[in-house]
Amino acid sequence: MKSFEYVITDPVGIHARPAGIMVKEIKNLIGTTVTIAKGEKSANALRLMAVMQLGIKQGDTVKVTVEGGDEAAAAATLEKFFKEHF
Amino acid sequence: MALDYRKCAEEIYSHLGGKENIISAAHCATRLRLVIADNSKLDIKALEEVDGVKGLFDSNGQLQLIIGTGTVNKVYDEFLAVTGLSAASKADVKAAAASRMPLWKKILKTPGDVFVPILPAIVASGLMMGLVEAIPKFAPAFGQSDWYSFLDLVANTAFALLPVLVAVSAARVFGGNIFLGAVIGLMMVHPALINAWTVGNYAAGEIPTWHLFFFNVQQVGYQGHVIPVILAVLLMSTIEKWLHKVVPEMIDLFVTPLCTVLITAFVTFTIIGPIFSVLENWVLAGAKWLAGSLLGSLVMGAIYPWTVVMGLHHMYNVIEAGMIAQTGLNTWMPIASAANFAQFGACLAVALKVHNQKTKSVALPSSLSASLGITEPAIFGINFRFMKPFLCGMAGGAVGALFGALFKLGAPVYGVTGIPAIPAVNNVPLYLVELLIAAGIAFGLTWFIWKEDEESKKKAEAPAPEAATEELKPGASVIRYAGGEVLQPVPGKVIAMEDIPDDTFAAGILGQGIGVEPSEDIVVAPFDGTVTMVFDTKHAVTLEGNGMEMLIHVGIDTVGMNGEGFETFVKDGDEVKAGQKLLSFSSDKIKAAGHSNTVAVILTNADDLEGLEFGLKE
Repeated sequence: MKSFEYVITDPVGIHARPAGIMVKEIKNLIGTTVTIAKGEKSANALRLMAVMQLGIKQGDTVKVTVEGGDEAAAAATLEKFFKEHF
Repeated sequence: MALDYRKCAEEIYSHLGGKENIISAAHCATRLRLVIADNSKLDIKALEEVDGVKGLFDSNGQLQLIIGTGTVNKVYDEFLAVTGLSAASKADVKAAAASRMPLWKKILKTPGDVFVPILPAIVASGLMMGLVEAIPKFAPAFGQSDWYSFLDLVANTAFALLPVLVAVSAARVFGGNIFLGAVIGLMMVHPALINAWTVGNYAAGEIPTWHLFFFNVQQVGYQGHVIPVILAVLLMSTIEKWLHKVVPEMIDLFVTPLCTVLITAFVTFTIIGPIFSVLENWVLAGAKWLAGSLLGSLVMGAIYPWTVVMGLHHMYNVIEAGMIAQTGLNTWMPIASAANFAQFGACLAVALKVHNQKTKSVALPSSLSASLGITEPAIFGINFRFMKPFLCGMAGGAVGALFGALFKLGAPVYGVTGIPAIPAVNNVPLYLVELLIAAGIAFGLTWFIWKEDEESKKKAEAPAPEAATEELKPGASVIRYAGGEVLQPVPGKVIAMEDIPDDTFAAGILGQGIGVEPSEDIVVAPFDGTVTMVFDTKHAVTLEGNGMEMLIHVGIDTVGMNGEGFETFVKDGDEVKAGQKLLSFSSDKIKAAGHSNTVAVILTNADDLEGLEFGLKE
């Protein structure tokens, strides 16, 4: 299990479209389960609805956890993706 | 069985009435879009029967055949091969659709297109100018005050420099650079030129003249002009677009604007301008001659507003000044007053009759301004756009002018018409009767002849958003799957997901669904279920029900509006019934913020649903 934390800088946070792009990105990581958590609440990052319901906004710290598959590579890819998009 | 693309294309072609009948062809993600010359030559029934055509409709001058994602491009390629047509972009098809409009209609439409965006400026100025100029006629002391001179400056700015506003707007209409358009407009009212309003004070030999090649150009500005400015900017935009195409990119940035401005300026001052000054002199001579007889006054009262449209009316001061010098009485004023007051009547009729709030809000102040003698807002903003009120105004003006001539009405002053002229006129009661006749006829005719077109009326009559919990009649089924269906949550035109103007939605990244181009600004629940989330920014909601997870997202990129223009009526966890109101929004505000108001209706868990089917079904 690998995880990283990230502070959202995108002024609009992770709303519908960014969440969709993220889901698409995660679908490429075969054999890996990704969980995204904000505070107490967490969601399977593949579940678009669940991700949107976290209501992630600018300034929020999210914790992204990667399990299964090539965890190190997946975590690195995602961290880069978050930095680029959120 | 896979569709035989060739056969499908050939069959479509065989029902289109021959190659001459096809103006252009393009395709989008799902549809073959054709512009047809003569719809009556089409065999619509047979087209619907063609294997591969899932449906068709005629919209905005385009015949659209729904063929489907992944197939339409192949059918399209075959269609081009079969017909020998060349590929057209969607933009070409739209342009071709617009060009089906008759030329005279396009020409009449242009001043309106140019004027509508600048209406707020000219309505404000027109009204203020009418008031500011009217007050001193009743209270002469005010005319000497600093307040008068200050307010006069504020009020007449937009009119004194009208060509600049017209040029910028025209550049937008014709697709030219608006800053280059502004340069052309500014040039035409450059302070170094003699002001067109005062040129009458100069003797013919006194006006400085440039000698350019074999042209003798009088150094006179174009204050108050409209048509020459539109023509100049049309020329400018055409030159600019052509140069962008032919000039190598490396030097485009400085060669194109330079040449565009230079050529436009030269042609404007040497050809467009002189043609108009000749025209002006004719109009002037003609007007003078007409005003001398009874019948002539009738004709002049009718055609006067046309000279306003052409921007020639500022020349009339010369006639008026001449009359006062000769006889001491300005008998031109009653003609102009009748014509202007008739436009006021026509515009007022529109203001009172129209249902569309937007039109009403322009028509009311415009008519007020017209009653004070400033008719441009009423003419360009309302009467000329709808044409019939304009013609009714002509009739009123004609009769009013005849009445004025019959009773030899006149005034010893010039430069005012309508209400502000009352204190100066030689017979106040008869003058009032004249105004009443002119406006009354125009008002009456407009009231009975002019009809608001249905579309704009429908817009106005759309029910206002109702109380929060009220259930609306749910729409028709737009998405179905084995376990349930989605009813149309927003009234309006249903479009394919691929046609949603946003890549993320169109590509299905958020799930599968449809789009709606809203005709009303309201979202209702598409099925019985639970609201899982109302976005803080109020522009989207998610729901669950019957195994479906749904995202309804209003507008594209509207997250940036931060809830401004949106109102929600439910909260997270609420149980809702199909048809229950979820949120309302303002298409005007969305569009004002520069976004599309298309609503995306997306099943985010579409991958888990069996037997999905998209599209409207009654």
